[in-house]
Amino acid sequence: TDLDAPIESEYTPSNFLTTPEQFIAASGPVYSQMRDEVAKAYWNLQELSTDEAVIVARNGNYYDGARYQQLSLHTWDPQNQFVRTAWEWGFSGISTCNRTLALFQNTADGDFKTQFTAELRTMRALYYYLMMDLYGNIPLVPEFGSTEQPTNATRQQVFEYIESELKAALPNLSATVSAQTYGRPTQGTAQALLAKLYLNAEVYIGQPRYTEAIAACNAIIKGKKYSLAANYLDVFAVENGPQVAEIIFAVPFDANLAQGNMMSRFALHQQMKDKFGLLFTPSNASLTWPEFYALYKEPTDTRNQQWLAGKQYLNDGRTPILIATTKKGLDSRYTGADGNAAISYHLELSDRLTFRDAAKFDVGNDELGKAQGTRNIKYYPDKSSTSRDQGNDLVLFRYADVLLMKAEAILRGGQDPDGATAKNLVNQIRTRAQVPALPTVDLNTLFEERSREMAWEGWRRNDLIRFGKWESVWGQGMKTNAETYRRIYPIPTTELTLNGQLKQNTGY
Amino acid sequence: QKATTEVAYFAVPAGSLATALQRLQRETGVNIVYEARDVQQARVEAAEFRAAKVGDIIRQMTRRTPLHLEETQGVIILTPDTAPPAPSTPRKAAREVKGRITDARSGTALPGVTVMAKGTSTGTVTDAEGRYALVVPEEATTLVFSFMGYVAKEVTVGEQTSIDVALSEDNKLLNDVVVIGYGAVKKGEVTSSITNVEPREFNRGVVATPDQVLQGKVAGLNITRSGDPNATPTVVLRGASSLRTGQAQEPFYVIDGVPAASINLVAPDDIVSIDVLKDASATAIYGARAANGVIIITTRRQKPSAAVTYSGYVGVEQVSNTIDMLSGDQLRNYLEANGKSLSPADNDEGTNTDWQKEVMRTGISHNHTISYGGGSEKSAFNASVNYFKRQGVMKTSDSERIIGKINLDQKTLKDKLQLRFTLTNSLLTQHLISDLVYRNMFNHLPTTNIQNPDGTYKENLTRTQYYNPVALLNQNSEERKINTLLGNASAQLTILPNLTNTLSLSMQNESVKGGAYQSRESPVPNANNVTGLAAKGLARRYSLENTRKILENYLTYNPLNTTTHDLKLLVGYSWQEDKNGDGFQTDTRGFVSDQLGYNNLGLGNPNGVTPNYDAAIAGYSLGISTLRLISLYSRVNYGLLDRYFLQVSVRRDGSSAFGQNNRWGTFPAASLAWNIAREDFLAGQNKLTELKLRVGYGITGNSLGFDPLIATQRYSSVGTFYYNGSFIKAIGPTQNPNPDLKWESTAMLNVGLDFGLLGNRLSGTVEVYDKRTSDLIWNYPVSTTQYFVNTLYANVGEISNRGVELTLNATPVQTADFQWTVSGNLAHNVNKVEKLANDQFRLDQVYTAYPGGSGQSGISTQIVKTGYPIGQFFLPEYAGRDENGLSLFYKADGTTTGSPTLADYRYQGNAQPTLLYGVSNTVSWKRLDLNFFLRGVTGNKILNATLANQNIPAQSTANNLPVFSLNEPYNDNRANYYSDRYLESGAYLRLDNATLGYNLPIQNEYVKRARVYITTQNLFTLTKYRGIDPEMNLGGLTPGLDNNNFYPKTRSYVLGVNLEF
Repeated sequence: TDLDAPIESEYTPSNFLTTPEQFIAASGPVYSQMRDEVAKAYWNLQELSTDEAVIVARNGNYYDGARYQQLSLHTWDPQNQFVRTAWEWGFSGISTCNRTLALFQNTADGDFKTQFTAELRTMRALYYYLMMDLYGNIPLVPEFGSTEQPTNATRQQVFEYIESELKAALPNLSATVSAQTYGRPTQGTAQALLAKLYLNAEVYIGQPRYTEAIAACNAIIKGKKYSLAANYLDVFAVENGPQVAEIIFAVPFDANLAQGNMMSRFALHQQMKDKFGLLFTPSNASLTWPEFYALYKEPTDTRNQQWLAGKQYLNDGRTPILIATTKKGLDSRYTGADGNAAISYHLELSDRLTFRDAAKFDVGNDELGKAQGTRNIKYYPDKSSTSRDQGNDLVLFRYADVLLMKAEAILRGGQDPDGATAKNLVNQIRTRAQVPALPTVDLNTLFEERSREMAWEGWRRNDLIRFGKWESVWGQGMKTNAETYRRIYPIPTTELTLNGQLKQNTGY
Repeated sequence: QKATTEVAYFAVPAGSLATALQRLQRETGVNIVYEARDVQQARVEAAEFRAAKVGDIIRQMTRRTPLHLEETQGVIILTPDTAPPAPSTPRKAAREVKGRITDARSGTALPGVTVMAKGTSTGTVTDAEGRYALVVPEEATTLVFSFMGYVAKEVTVGEQTSIDVALSEDNKLLNDVVVIGYGAVKKGEVTSSITNVEPREFNRGVVATPDQVLQGKVAGLNITRSGDPNATPTVVLRGASSLRTGQAQEPFYVIDGVPAASINLVAPDDIVSIDVLKDASATAIYGARAANGVIIITTRRQKPSAAVTYSGYVGVEQVSNTIDMLSGDQLRNYLEANGKSLSPADNDEGTNTDWQKEVMRTGISHNHTISYGGGSEKSAFNASVNYFKRQGVMKTSDSERIIGKINLDQKTLKDKLQLRFTLTNSLLTQHLISDLVYRNMFNHLPTTNIQNPDGTYKENLTRTQYYNPVALLNQNSEERKINTLLGNASAQLTILPNLTNTLSLSMQNESVKGGAYQSRESPVPNANNVTGLAAKGLARRYSLENTRKILENYLTYNPLNTTTHDLKLLVGYSWQEDKNGDGFQTDTRGFVSDQLGYNNLGLGNPNGVTPNYDAAIAGYSLGISTLRLISLYSRVNYGLLDRYFLQVSVRRDGSSAFGQNNRWGTFPAASLAWNIAREDFLAGQNKLTELKLRVGYGITGNSLGFDPLIATQRYSSVGTFYYNGSFIKAIGPTQNPNPDLKWESTAMLNVGLDFGLLGNRLSGTVEVYDKRTSDLIWNYPVSTTQYFVNTLYANVGEISNRGVELTLNATPVQTADFQWTVSGNLAHNVNKVEKLANDQFRLDQVYTAYPGGSGQSGISTQIVKTGYPIGQFFLPEYAGRDENGLSLFYKADGTTTGSPTLADYRYQGNAQPTLLYGVSNTVSWKRLDLNFFLRGVTGNKILNATLANQNIPAQSTANNLPVFSLNEPYNDNRANYYSDRYLESGAYLRLDNATLGYNLPIQNEYVKRARVYITTQNLFTLTKYRGIDPEMNLGGLTPGLDNNNFYPKTRSYVLGVNLEF
């Protein structure tokens, strides 16, 4: 009557978590979880909902029940798949932190435990921040294993919780920045996150906290652990990593070992496979709206290199990318008698989008349809990859953002004990981009500079709301919805079903 | 001399002499012939005999009844001792009548048939050639022909001097014993719902496994299979009763007393009978694994005398139905008419490649079984070898199987100990092809050549999943060898005359070995859409073992056995341990030559790409998992006056798979039968030969179909993370623990009526059942605010199935030369999800059946919701086209839209048939016989997602279109949206099987019996369904979804022979 069958090839509580190596491995899910959706569902909610990025349908492809279109036109509902996926991802991350912290109670006291605990609390604060920024009045679930279903906390309560956790963790985080701490939070990470929190305090809790934002930025600037990289695109390159002094916190990816970053797969036209030496055929999905690309006005700006626009050539810069097709294959609307005549089309990415079926958000899938849209290659395609994934680490906090945040906080009335000026800070960025310094900087010019600098990095929605531009019209006039309740996303329907205690955000 | 046959033990209870004589016949196998009226009044006292001769026993029993005993050719004939009453009329002269007695079905001679002149004591027995000669006394007008196992026949003599008679087998007698698990009962005493299927009813033709021979034969047992020789059929009994799929929906197989043995071990030719236990009162003896019914297969053991049989066939298999696609010219014309054109890369002018023709063929199958056995009373053996090879209709796909089987039976300790030993080994070799072939043989543009001028295959790699189908077959290969070994040893010890103990030990070992190779030139991506060309040859090998050990021990006790009371008791214990997934798989890449395939992984140059140890092996899981099941069971059978029968059973099962708090479950059952036909008030009439009412109720469980660690918290690799400068494996929880997890529980009430009319010329069964399954296991979504991961396995939902089943057997015509029998079955089932949520787990509905397809990712087509059946379609309603030719759909408010959302979806019929039916006809005339079997379903819907996904006119420059699309407006970019437009009736009627057989008139000292036959399978199918075949997989959570269902339907013709030496 002995029913205890042996467990021979899996870790279960009966045989796992006794040695320090096992504890380190057990902290891994906190970090691997971050990778899962930070470049996908989370990025989609933060970027596809703005004037910076869009996925259009191409003769039905990428229509997918209008889930992309809903983000672009601000018509999403609580059933939208990305709304759900991002929520599950974030709260799974919070639970993972809570659970791992509970496990760590069992380890012996010492430096290892102190620093690990601080790192996990910072990661939890980061997950909370990302969720609070998206969904507003999220539940606070500090302890793992509680069977009670949590209720919504106010955004203010979540704000205060994040603030207090970061402050508590800060002294025990690593002050050094090296390959040993890369990918895990350091004191710089906590300060950068505090700066974000305070800079957006007016949006989040209706109170200006700009002086505190400046203080957090100053802690980073004066610590001198970070600096602007000489070359803008190096920060996001396939090889980016601990050697890039500009990176404060990045989510490390590897094309084979740590997958989840598929920026190039989505952004590139199929024919660019050869240009970038890729082993897969890209999906030709994500583009930018022409209004946003129009912000890149200065020809010498090194940041222009993150865009692919106009006529396309192989990487030698001379050989045109030619597509063998017919006149009708090029343009399915062609009606001439010689429609079947073979032609060779030199691929030219058109900036302006021509919608063939606006209701379906569809630009067609003939060669002209496929060629629509300016593409972003900030996270440069990874030719060493044997999968559709790429090895570029996704940068969440970097030094240039800190400089811009400080400049903005000053312009918004914050006090800097060091007396720095917004103009000086912004021009540090411009100098690196090899464009002339600005004579004056106001909130408007700062916004434009921030747009050019921070494109595709997942902060656009946050910026648009803070600058009061979230309700503007964009997307060649297609995005007109100005409902202000859309400043936060709805709680996904599935979550409301699971937890009857939760209340839906106003408006949804 | 039969009268001197010695009987080890014979007990006779007090009662009628007739009953006692019947019992003696049954237990000794000695033929005893007597006239019923001569023994009508006679009684016997209770007595026990040990080592007594049959003749002495009869003399002892008849000592108060003046009967005379004589023996003629092995038959004991009892006649009244007193002389027959003197004739009142002058005696006429006696005449001699001669004749020959044959088997009505096979036409073979029947030796040993008793021929009696009715009302006299004159009689004789037929000789080895079935001949008799009898001097009929003058007063006799009728001859009676009787033989064990056959229906007795009376023929009026009249002026005839030659009377030939064909006797038919008595089905009721043949089916005398029904296997009920851990024993057997007489058919008349069965109290629950059990259907017995005999080999002569089996489906003929190219059949590989035992479940296929049953298809359509048992009311309520729904078996569906595809044309793919390497696919497993799905079997669903009395409606879906689980939300889980696979093993969780399949019946439990017991083969020759070994529970949970693999059906791959059984060659259909070796089967002697199959018993399908349908209701819970029958199956509950198998407890926690019995909720989907139990199928008990009995295979051939030793023959009474040495015999060799051979059966074999050769078959050809052809494609009977496929999807009509456009030819190259048709496609070019269609594009031209719509002002479109192909890219030069996709247009070899004038080319019309029929890709389907290029990858399909006529498949040849053959099957041979040789079986021989022999031995003595003390020891006997039987051995058989089966070889089966089937070529698929897709080139390069086939399966080949050899099964060897040996049985040894030995009696010892004065016959008190009976030892049985069985060893079976099956070696199955499969050649598999890539699923991409099916998609591409339809969708690949017919406008391109197979090869380029330089001999390489023509490819256009700018599209995903678009490859040259001929190249796919020639550049990729996978071979799999599955070796299954089952050893079983059992010992049955008679402790007391009425008490026996049976101990059975079994071990089954399944070893799976496989290898796959993708050649250097194959562009098929091996991971995440990366071209296979980068791998430069990719080789994969895997090997795994599944082992099962079973111990069963049970005692049977028969303390009361009189004509009034019959009480049998059974108590048993069982222990089972399954160790599955013990193995590994790995791959490597970078070969300089394709010459060696996957045979030498060491020659690869992986260049830093780590081997993939986690790739899935279709149909198997890797990683050792051990499941232990321990059970105690007991059953009581009680019969009163041969009319009232009661069966009560209880089983207590423990399983290591379940949560610590719920590891043991109890499964009780009880059933009653009332044999009305044996009541006095029905005595004396001869129209109603059988009438029995049965009522049964029982509770069974479903504990199969998931990982043994389902209730445990598990830590697994959850990707990698960057630590101290390198990526290391992160290990985290991947499954929430649920210590309360337990089996799904099914309670079933079954009421049945068995009847036989007109001497069983018309017989049948009606059954009504109500099956309720609760504690459904489902991976419930839980909030990640409280749990490790976002789902948790828990017992929450309820499903009900209610239905009626009707089985009829009729013999409309029966003469010596001509016989026609019809048997049919009909089943109606109503399935309903009763509950999906409780206080703890909330779930309004599950959207399911996501066919995917171009631009339709994440679109569901079915819903699982309280009040609706499994397989409920939930789709937009098609509203025709607008003035621009674009498809429209109704919105919830009745207006139309081009982009329907979930709010506009409507409930639109379901995938489960309202009626399942099968009709079998057998006509025999002299030595010829013809059998044809029709089978069908009605009342179900199929979503033809395969057609929807092909019907994208606007993408016809990239993918070929079905002929269906020629009438579609080119610019309708919503033509493929899933809606009721693609929801079609799934009703069909299929001539599943037709066999014409001939029994050769060869009969000599070498050949005992010879038969040849031709069979055709799937001769025609009547259906309105537009897809390849309406016979859809009806198992699983998403039945009736025809999605990428590309395997062509086949028709086969078989020529077979059966020989007995």
